[in-house]
Order: sequence, then C-alpha cells, then structure tokens
Amino acid sequence: MKKILLIEDEEIIINLLEKKLTQTGYEVSLARNGEDGLNLVRKINPDLVLLDVIMPKKGGFEVLEGMSKDEELSKIPVIVISNSGQPVELDKAKKLGAKDWLIKTEFDPNEVLAKVVKQIGE
Amino acid sequence: MVEEKIIKKNRQKSKEFSGFFQIPNEGLFNFLPSAICVVDPAGIIVTTNQIFQNLTTYNPSEVIGQKLGAIFTDNKKINNLLVAAGKKGMAVARNLDLISQKKEKISVDIFILARKDKNGNILGYFLSISNVSEIVSEIKTIKKELQIKIGAKTKELEESRAALLNILEDVEEAWQKTEEERNKTEAIITNFADGLLVFDKDDKVSLINHRAEKIFNIKSPEILRKTISELIVFPSFSPLSDIFRKEIAEVFRKEVFLKENLIIELSIVPIERGEEKIGNLVIIHDVTREKMIERMKSEFVSISAHQLRTPLSAIKWTLKMILEGDVGQLTREQKELLQKTYDSNERMISLINDLLDVTRIEEGKDIYKPVVKEVIPFFESLINLYKEEAKRRKLKLEFRRPDGKIPKVLIDAEKIKLVMQNLLENAIRYTPESGRVTISLGYDKKELEVQIQDTGVGVPANQKERIFTKFFRGANVIRMETEGSGLGLFIAKNIVEAHGGRIWFESEENKGSTFHFTIPIKMEFEEFLKEF
Repeated sequence: MKKILLIEDEEIIINLLEKKLTQTGYEVSLARNGEDGLNLVRKINPDLVLLDVIMPKKGGFEVLEGMSKDEELSKIPVIVISNSGQPVELDKAKKLGAKDWLIKTEFDPNEVLAKVVKQIGE
Repeated sequence: MVEEKIIKKNRQKSKEFSGFFQIPNEGLFNFLPSAICVVDPAGIIVTTNQIFQNLTTYNPSEVIGQKLGAIFTDNKKINNLLVAAGKKGMAVARNLDLISQKKEKISVDIFILARKDKNGNILGYFLSISNVSEIVSEIKTIKKELQIKIGAKTKELEESRAALLNILEDVEEAWQKTEEERNKTEAIITNFADGLLVFDKDDKVSLINHRAEKIFNIKSPEILRKTISELIVFPSFSPLSDIFRKEIAEVFRKEVFLKENLIIELSIVPIERGEEKIGNLVIIHDVTREKMIERMKSEFVSISAHQLRTPLSAIKWTLKMILEGDVGQLTREQKELLQKTYDSNERMISLINDLLDVTRIEEGKDIYKPVVKEVIPFFESLINLYKEEAKRRKLKLEFRRPDGKIPKVLIDAEKIKLVMQNLLENAIRYTPESGRVTISLGYDKKELEVQIQDTGVGVPANQKERIFTKFFRGANVIRMETEGSGLGLFIAKNIVEAHGGRIWFESEENKGSTFHFTIPIKMEFEEFLKEF
C-alpha cells in the first residue's frame, strides 16, 4: 500500500482528502504543521507528500527546503496544495523540487486524486 | 666799369689768397666736385668756384666782397662757425639754409678749414659747401613715408592689440563659463542621488561621488587611480568583481545583492568619444526599498489570497464531495440546491481571482511566460469548456476553423486562456436565448486575430469608451445580472497588450457585439518554432 503524507493545517481539507485518499486505497499519514511534517517525512519515508504552504511553525517552503537538502528525501515527489499561487511562489517551489502546484479553489478532491495517481500510480 | 674793377681786384685778392692757402689755382678750384669759396678773416667772400656759382646761382661779382653770412638765413650761426673754425682749425655744420640768388632755400653741409700763419694768426677760411637739399628732401620724404608707415603699422598694432584684448576677454569669459559649467557638473555629480563611479580607458577609477562612497563605505582617496583588480580587494566591491571584469560594449544593467539590507541596481554605460571608447560610467541605484515594498506586496497578495480563498476552497471541496455522493446519496431537490450553492461559490472564487489578477497586473508582477502553442487545438479545447453552458442557455456556440495551417504562436497560455474565458463568458452571459456565439480565427504574416461574435445585448453607444476600464459594467448588463466584477475586459486588455497585441470591438445595442484581439506572429521566432 502506497504511503501518502498529508501536511495541512486546515481541518476540513484534511478530512476530505484523507477520506478520498483512503477510499482509493492509499495509506494516509497526517501532520498539522511544517515542523511535524518534516519530522514525519524522515520517519515514515512516504511515497508522496501533499503539502500546504501557509501553516503554523514551519511553512511549506521550509519543508521543501529541508527535503531538498537531504539526498533521500529530495527523491520523494511533492505536490503543493495552496490557496495562493503567484508565479514567484511557483518558481520557488519548482526550484526546491516540487512536482506540481495546485490552487485549492481551482481543483476539487477528485482532481487532486488524479494528480496523485499520475505521480505514484494507484 | 666799377664792377669790373672790383671783380678784378677781388680776383687779384683771390689769387693772393690762394697763395696764402696754398690751394690749387682757379682751374683746379673749378675742378673740385663740391662748391668752394674762400673767406677772409673778416668773413668776406674772396673767391668761389664754378660749382659754387651753379649751386647758389650768384655771379662771382655778386658775392665776392660780400659777407658770407649774407647768403645764409642764419647769419649769426655762420659767424659762430667761423669763430669755432678759427679756434679749432676746422668746423662742420649740417643742414644750413643757403639763400640762392633766385631766393630759393638750399640745404647745405659746410666744412670750414681755417688757415693760420706761423704765429697762429688767422689768414682766412676755406669752405666746402655740399648741397644736401635733395638728400634732406629725400630724408624728409622717407621720414614722412616712414611716419605714415609707422602710423599705419601702429594703427594696425593698436587694432591687433584691441583684437587680442577682445580675444583674451572672450577666452576669459569662456574659461569662466567652462569653470562654472565644470563646477555645476561637479555639483551635480557630487550631489547625485545615485552612486556614480567612472573608470578611464585603462580601467582605473577616475571619479567617485559621495553617494557611491557611502554605498561602498569607502573614501575616494582610497580608490582613486586604482585598477579593477585592486578595487575588488575591498570587501564592499567583491560582489561586483565578475560584473566589473566584463567587457562592456553597450548599456548593461544588473541587480546585485551587495549586503544585508542593501540591494543595488548597477548600470554600466560605456563612455564614447566619437568611435573611441574612453571609459565606463557605473551608476549605482539603491533599490532596497523598492525590493522590500515588492516583497511586502507579494506577501500581502499571498496572505490575502490565502485568507479569501481558504473558506471558499473548503466550501467547494465539501460541496463537491457531497454532490458526488461520497458521503451518501442525495435527493434530487437536495442535489439541485447544493449545485446552486456550489455555482454561487464558484462565482465568488472567480470574483476573488479577478481581484487578485488585477492586483498582480497593477503590481507589474504578472510574469509573462511564453510557451509555443498549436493554435487550433488550444482554442478548440477552450471553447469546448463552454459547450454545456451554451446548451443550457439555448445558444448556438460555433467555432469556425480557418482554412490551411495556422503558424504556431508564442503565448502565455494561462493568460490567453483568461482572455478567452472573459470574452466567452460575456458573450454567453449577455446573449438572450436562441442567440448565437461564433468564434473565428484569422491570420496574416504579422498576427493571429481571434474574433468572438455574439447576438447579445450589445454595448450602449455612450458607454463604448469606458468598456475596458477597471470595474466598469454596462448599464444594460447590470439590469440583466447584478453579479460581475467589471474587471474581465480590463484584465483581457492588459494581457493582450502584454503580448504585444491589440483588442477592440464593434457593437450595436440589442443586435450584438464582436470582440477582436490579436497576437503577433513574430518572424524571429520562426526558427525557434521549427524545433517544436
């Protein structure tokens, strides 16, 4: 079973995505801030990370930075899910190794799922 | 008879005299080349020669026996001369005026020789008289000419002097002006708000102003005449070493992070005199504040987007999952109500997106990322997104494909998508049932033209000018639909113009509108495009 780490602080998004992903057959781990997220990435070595940007303690960019510095962790695909999406942010995320960037208002859970499948398969 | 006697007597006397003087006889006397006369100790003319007679035009009889002084204007002077000759043995006088028999003044030089006996008693005087009137007159003429010449020369010199003085004055004035200009330029350079550094043709620092000293935390004597290699040893210059080493042929501009809280924009301008490059001017503009504001704006937009979109995305995702039956089956009525809620939420999202797009456009941060696109599939897929909506509104949506192959274009696909969305949404939203929306493409060598024609409500004639302005909505469309941000066409215009294209429309109220926009097909991209 493929492991997905969801790093997100908004409860309702966590609930909906967790439901959608587990229904599809993924194992979902949760972290509610960047710091916990980065620790958990190291601990569970997931197949994919779904990462929010604006979060307490550490933000999404710091998580990306932390992962990019580690040879093993930098191989894990990361999809950023954010409410923002300015070109400078997209560029920065891309440089730090993010595979995709989804603006939450432009996508729904099904589309997020499709992006996940595209990256790691079912 | 008496005259003849006198002359005879004088001739006799003269013969006696010439004996006294031991001078040659009358023949030789006449042979001498100058006028000669002999005077007795009392100054009485005793004898004369032929030349004397020629010179004075007197017959011997008229002068022999006369006082010598009588034939000169200055009688006294002649007497004095004879006295002087008596004392010294000889006397010379120049330029004396002799009066001829014809009453003409003749300038003569006189040489007087006194003849004395053994005891020193004066026996008489021997006078040699030379006519110098011609010489004198010549001298006078020469003098006069000279004076004229000198006068002219003096005048000329005076004029030259005056001219020179004028030139000197002009030079002085010009020098003062230059000095003033130099001071002004120096003051401008010194007080210039940007830092300035000038390198000469040997790449040595020849000038640094106050602002540059402050930016680089250095004093001008420390770096003047230093080469680039010597300069970059200073820590404040080290981030610029690569830039300074570049060969600068035209204006070069780069943003450099110099140190914490100091970001500069560096412009290097080659200084040229004619075709020769004589150095480089470096302008250092402090952009720290602009960069900070830019960053703050970006953060503000990011935070606003987050704050505004977070609840909307939560609603969207929840409704979507409920609508798709992820949390149980819905009744038809429930589904319909939730769908309407979902649609309202989508409009809210779109409104927020428009607002954020405007903020970005006005910030100048709407980064234009061109990609090469195949025209027909790109527009077709966009139009297909509106098929359902058109059908629901009972409209005919038609895409007229052009004949032949359209060249690929270089566009920011996301942004052009936004333009098409805004134009298509307007066309569909403001066209009454059973109307028609037609999209057609045309192109020439220069540009691609997209045309969206509808049979909608049109734009009121008196509002046509304002249609592309921010927050503007036509009076007739507000009556139809209260929602709408009035930003769609403003955004579309900005995006099209950022691509180098144009946007315009024709419209007649209650008959319909046709919106056109163009995207340039740039020939220089052709080679580049072939690779795709």
